[in-house]
Amino acid sequence: MARTSTNMRGFYRQKKKNHTTTATGCITKSKSTKTPSFVSDITQTPALHTRDDFCDEERALREFDMNMAYGPCLGITRLARWERAQRLGLDPPKEIHCLLKGGDVKLECFLDGRV
Amino acid sequence: MEVESPEQLQRKQTTYLSFGENFEIQKEVYRGQQYSQIYFARLHWMRALLYSLVPNWKSHLPVCTILGLEEGTECIIVGTLYKHMKLKPCILDEYSKERSVAPLVKPHNFMNQDDYLVLEDESGRVKLGGTVLSPSVYVTGVVVALHGKETSAGVFFVEDVLEAGLPPQIERPLKSREDKYVVLVSGLSIGSSSSNPLQFQLLVDHITGHLGDEEEQGLVAEIVHLVIAGNSVEISRGILSGQNLASKDQSRLSEPFKELDIQLTQIAASLPLDIMPGSSDPANFSLPQQPLNRCLFPGSATFNTFRSCTNPHCFELDNIRFLGTSGQNIDDLTKYSEAKDKLDFLERTLRWRHLAPTAPNTLGCYPFTDRDPFLIDSCPDVYFVGNQEKYGTRLVKGSEGQSVRLISIPRFCETGVAVLLNMRNLECHALTFGTQFSS
Repeated sequence: MARTSTNMRGFYRQKKKNHTTTATGCITKSKSTKTPSFVSDITQTPALHTRDDFCDEERALREFDMNMAYGPCLGITRLARWERAQRLGLDPPKEIHCLLKGGDVKLECFLDGRV
Repeated sequence: MEVESPEQLQRKQTTYLSFGENFEIQKEVYRGQQYSQIYFARLHWMRALLYSLVPNWKSHLPVCTILGLEEGTECIIVGTLYKHMKLKPCILDEYSKERSVAPLVKPHNFMNQDDYLVLEDESGRVKLGGTVLSPSVYVTGVVVALHGKETSAGVFFVEDVLEAGLPPQIERPLKSREDKYVVLVSGLSIGSSSSNPLQFQLLVDHITGHLGDEEEQGLVAEIVHLVIAGNSVEISRGILSGQNLASKDQSRLSEPFKELDIQLTQIAASLPLDIMPGSSDPANFSLPQQPLNRCLFPGSATFNTFRSCTNPHCFELDNIRFLGTSGQNIDDLTKYSEAKDKLDFLERTLRWRHLAPTAPNTLGCYPFTDRDPFLIDSCPDVYFVGNQEKYGTRLVKGSEGQSVRLISIPRFCETGVAVLLNMRNLECHALTFGTQFSS
């Protein structure tokens, strides 16, 4: 029988770590310590609240994945989807392009492999 | 004795421009994508187009998304149609526990009076009601704008429909040209039991000018191009049973190609020809079909007049734009909708600005991610479909002065009919070859 923690609250985390702090909770490159301005706190979809730790870059990319205006996200790399949106005249945010070209972020949509 | 040197008849020439890069898939890389990407590309392009046409249609009504529909408010919505068909074969029927005695697939038409239409965009879908939009005319995959209002039952009652209409056409200069003819033929089916080699040989001899007197040859010298719209060979199903082929069967497999190559060599030596793949040719199954491999034609491929083309095929001869398919798109429309005439289907695809709206729903199609190559953005002057039951033609006029010649090319092995089109005035007539000897 595994020894259960006496503090169940600690076992089932109610809040994400680093939720209220600024983006210093994970190692970020110097150019992207600023939280991108288009991430809104009000309209976060439930899919973004997972128990995995991810930093604001990934959150911004997930917002990009979930945005219906740019088309379906499955089966296409994030960069290809951004470039397609650019070509179709949808004016996707340039910060996403920088993130995808620069940082070591996941190139595939966050649903990739899960669906 | 004086020998009169025969006058050399020169065949007329044309300029040729190919627009086939749109249908080639060599550069495409498959990354596991599904068909949602091609539907998104289609909806995005067509919606932008329809939004630009809506102000001229009904400018006083608001345009909204499907999720933004309010009950009782008249508005305009744009989306992709989906037709729910009870009789459409579904792969799940094979696994259904209650299997009725009736066969799973009916070969001809899957229409039923209970079919209904649904309109879909990224935000949602809504069932369509009313009598304006007839489920027997429309098919899944067409993008339209609808004027109507949502009823209390959650159904969108349609009052009016806006289709994209004929695309803009590049003006052809009206100066009087000389008579130049294009021959269109399809369904040669060499290798099938119903094909008559004499009939095709007659066609070849006629086009290359080996038949007839000087006057006849003079007329033939005005033929400038030949288009073979699919189904040039037919391999008997018996040898394709999944077993290893014995060596004598291997030669049976290649004989139709050898025969076709011999004929095409005679043609290619005389005039430019385009050969398109069809449903029975050894090309990929899904649209757009890629050009037949040149090594199938060792004799004719050495000529620069020989061109192996995609299906659908788009090209220009002397600034006259030709667009056409080998028939799979129209045959699929025949299964899922109805019309009085095959040319009605052809006209509808032009008004919907999409060559094959049922792709990828019921017609095999490559899952493109960034574009839908079947969208028609420029109106052709000649629009043809191959491998149909009979020859038919119609001139269609558009609201902005477009003029298109629609041609339904019959299967040559069954009818012996090829189509001759005059590029000067876009008139066409049938060229029939008969080999019956009356006793």
